[in-house]
Amino acid sequence: MVVVASLLGIFDVSLDKLSNGELWLAQFFRGLSDGATYASVALALVMIYKSTGFINFAQGSLALLGVYLVYVFSVEQGLPVAVAVLCAMVASAVVAMFVERVFIRPFPPDHVLPLVIVTLGLLLIIDSAVGIVWGFRTRSLPSMFPTGAPIEWGIAQLTWRTIGNLGTVFAVVGLLYLLLSRTKVGLAFRAVSSNLESARLVGIRVGPTLGFGWALAAAIGTLGGALVVPDLLLEPSIMLRVLIFSLAAAALGGLDSLVGAVIGGLVVGLARNLLVTFLDLSELALATAVAVILVVLLVRPTGLFGSTRVERV
Amino acid sequence: MWFNTGGWRGKKRVVQAGSRQHRQRQIIGWALFALVVVLIPFLIADTYSPTIFGNRYTVGLGNLSQAVGLMVAILGLNIATGYSGQLSLGHSFFVGSGAYLTAVLVNDFHWSYVATLGVVVPGLFLFGVLFGIPALRIQGLYLGLLTFAVAAVFPSIIRLEEVSERTGGSNGLLIESDLKPPTWAPLDKVTEWLHAIPGVGSRVPDGLTGRQEEAVYKYFLLVIVALVCFWLVRNILAGRVGRAMVAIRDNPLGAAANGVNLAAYKTLSFGISAAVGGVAGTMLAMHSGFVGPDEFGFSMAILLIVGLIVGGAGTLHGAVAGGLAIQFVPHWSSQTQTLPGTDVALEGPYGTAILGGLLIVIIFALPGGAAHGFRKIKSRLMPVAPRPPGG
Amino acid sequence: MSGPYLEVQGLKAAYGNIQVLHGVDFSVAEGQIAVILGANGAGKTTTLRALCAMVSTEGSIKLAGEELAGHRTADIVRRGVAHVPQGRGTFPDLSVEENLLAGAFVRTDAEVQGDVQQWFETFPVLGERRNQSAGSLSGGEQQMLAIARALMLRPSLLLLDEPSLGLAPMITRSLFEQLTAINADAGTTMLVVEQNASLALGVADVAYVLEAGEVALSGPADELAADDNVRRAYLGY
Repeated sequence: MVVVASLLGIFDVSLDKLSNGELWLAQFFRGLSDGATYASVALALVMIYKSTGFINFAQGSLALLGVYLVYVFSVEQGLPVAVAVLCAMVASAVVAMFVERVFIRPFPPDHVLPLVIVTLGLLLIIDSAVGIVWGFRTRSLPSMFPTGAPIEWGIAQLTWRTIGNLGTVFAVVGLLYLLLSRTKVGLAFRAVSSNLESARLVGIRVGPTLGFGWALAAAIGTLGGALVVPDLLLEPSIMLRVLIFSLAAAALGGLDSLVGAVIGGLVVGLARNLLVTFLDLSELALATAVAVILVVLLVRPTGLFGSTRVERV
Repeated sequence: MWFNTGGWRGKKRVVQAGSRQHRQRQIIGWALFALVVVLIPFLIADTYSPTIFGNRYTVGLGNLSQAVGLMVAILGLNIATGYSGQLSLGHSFFVGSGAYLTAVLVNDFHWSYVATLGVVVPGLFLFGVLFGIPALRIQGLYLGLLTFAVAAVFPSIIRLEEVSERTGGSNGLLIESDLKPPTWAPLDKVTEWLHAIPGVGSRVPDGLTGRQEEAVYKYFLLVIVALVCFWLVRNILAGRVGRAMVAIRDNPLGAAANGVNLAAYKTLSFGISAAVGGVAGTMLAMHSGFVGPDEFGFSMAILLIVGLIVGGAGTLHGAVAGGLAIQFVPHWSSQTQTLPGTDVALEGPYGTAILGGLLIVIIFALPGGAAHGFRKIKSRLMPVAPRPPGG
Repeated sequence: MSGPYLEVQGLKAAYGNIQVLHGVDFSVAEGQIAVILGANGAGKTTTLRALCAMVSTEGSIKLAGEELAGHRTADIVRRGVAHVPQGRGTFPDLSVEENLLAGAFVRTDAEVQGDVQQWFETFPVLGERRNQSAGSLSGGEQQMLAIARALMLRPSLLLLDEPSLGLAPMITRSLFEQLTAINADAGTTMLVVEQNASLALGVADVAYVLEAGEVALSGPADELAADDNVRRAYLGY
């Protein structure tokens, strides 16, 4: 008890807060909402990791570009937000295919380290390109979902946005599952992830299949960005924080598991909101993500749902 | 190829390694290098402003001093990543820690800059070792993932309320100490002598203002610290420790089978890497007299990786080339008002984009980095034959 | 048809700067089983990989009179060349059934499902484990799956790299019986690289012995099996 009391003292936790059920519920809903957005970018990371075995550090940048396209289509061109998001998903998929073709495919796919460095270069290029084209002024982006909350308990609100975010992520993961398990292109994608050489030997064109993976990942990342940005303001560095949280989500889920990415995202979202609220650590929100990554990698490198990969010494 | 005709090649003398001529050539090379290092501050103390393709550029001595700091930062990263092969995307964390440690010690405890190294080096070494211990269990890509996230967290740690009184939080920290050149340093005199040299001398100002003198002094201080760092690292790497690190990078299983203690050397490499990174932080704080949280965020982490790869991972020359690249590419780009043939101004984010492109091009076309490229050119222009065995 | 079904002339291959094949010539008639023998490092595996454009090559590779050299792997597969690589020719993360479906990736006809069923009958073990991941199968089962996967292409030429590697002698023998049966039933031309020379020479029509990247000996399989040098070097008696 003494330990608990002193811990509470260190973190300046008020018991009022802890016994406030509505606050718990409110943060729970916010955590789910944030978590859903992290999950969708984590899904994009997992798609690339599954097929190529490396982490695409430029995934957040591709999503950033996608979100700016949403802004162009919705605010500047006046399309309905949902339509704008769809258009931006397609456009970012095309960009990602181009990026994959030009910057990734020239490198041998089994040498992971140079490819990781290349994605760092892409991160620099895409982020700066966004800054060059759209400048550093902050903008606000409308949400796809109506404002307001159908269900309220005091300060705890289950908003349409939370419901929409969660619904979108579950829909995405369901569609992805169907695509990967029921279609021929899905079979090709999984075959390439499983055994590159045999995939070639059954006549699968590996390059275009990986390009397809990049396109799909970018579209999902753009969707994730379109979910997260309306809560914040749109500016060129916005996706970096999201990328860190999503990396934590993907690591927690096991880096190669779609379901793991979703659950990891939700857990990270909840952990972040609850810790920040109850321990009063607003500046350390990002650090919770790092802590998650560290603990997962130390305790269980395959995450919650990842498949074991043999690593060298 | 126009520069590689047979006859021209045939006339070249091949010098044998270790021979008198080879040693002479090395001495001449180092002397030239020393001359350039010593003369440059006097040449550009008054800022150097060339006009290239209609663009006027200004290079101050400060830019060069900053590059020297970045070279040492890359040197540190090189130890963990280039030599022992552990992908560290968070080196900026160590650099930032060193910079803030120096800033706080100078501000709150009134230490001199150089004296803070007495705390920064052992402190960061210990910190690096402590970081290296969990990193033992995390390899390759996963270590990259972790360190990438760590880099992004540094600014928010600095902004923490609990420490912001000392660190200055978001506003950063102005360091309340000026580096005044000691009275015995004849910087002003040297400038006058150089100015008096007929012909060449006209490029040198006839004396230094107080501020210029300070800049020149700072530059020499930084160059000396950098030389000491490079010399120490070179000696460490040339010995047992360095061989063990390279063995771990190239073949961990083989190294372990030959009795190399992987855990010890990996943590040691992180310790040294962090200590050198901390020194770089001190140097950067010394150079600018200011530390801010976002300077040492993840953009610096990535830029250091760019410098490492572009310069050439696993070589000491690479750190020099890399430091120059990540300092002067953005600098050049930010001052390019009209790109030749177009009316595009390369301000702001263009510099970073160019560095990103450079990174990819180097990985694709010159995997050994610039250092490797230089070596290739040098061996073509001035070939050196290895010493015959037993000779 | 005139001329051999597979005709290889002056085949050279290299990994980076290391030249492995220095101009290999051989041919296989339609419906025949050919075996390539040779010591480790002689270039047997590389020869098979070269036929599928899995390594950079020079020289001419003609399949039914058409030049394969210069085409990409995916296109060569579409011309009916199936390849069972050494050791791990399956997709460990896919189920057994999905492995077979992947083998028929380039086929567009309606008989794919029927072929899957037929392989489950031929190899009942695979049928029992159709929904298990291939990585959970034993070595012998994986090798069967790899061969079935390759045959799902309905290939005209089947390349087999060390099919007996890591298999128990009993299983190896039944595997070769299966292969001869398939060869007899479907008329599939086969090119087999094999360490177990006596077994391979027993089923093959023609044989080639590779040494240091060149064909050192060639001839009908039964003649080579009787050759003293071959017996001493590869058969051990």
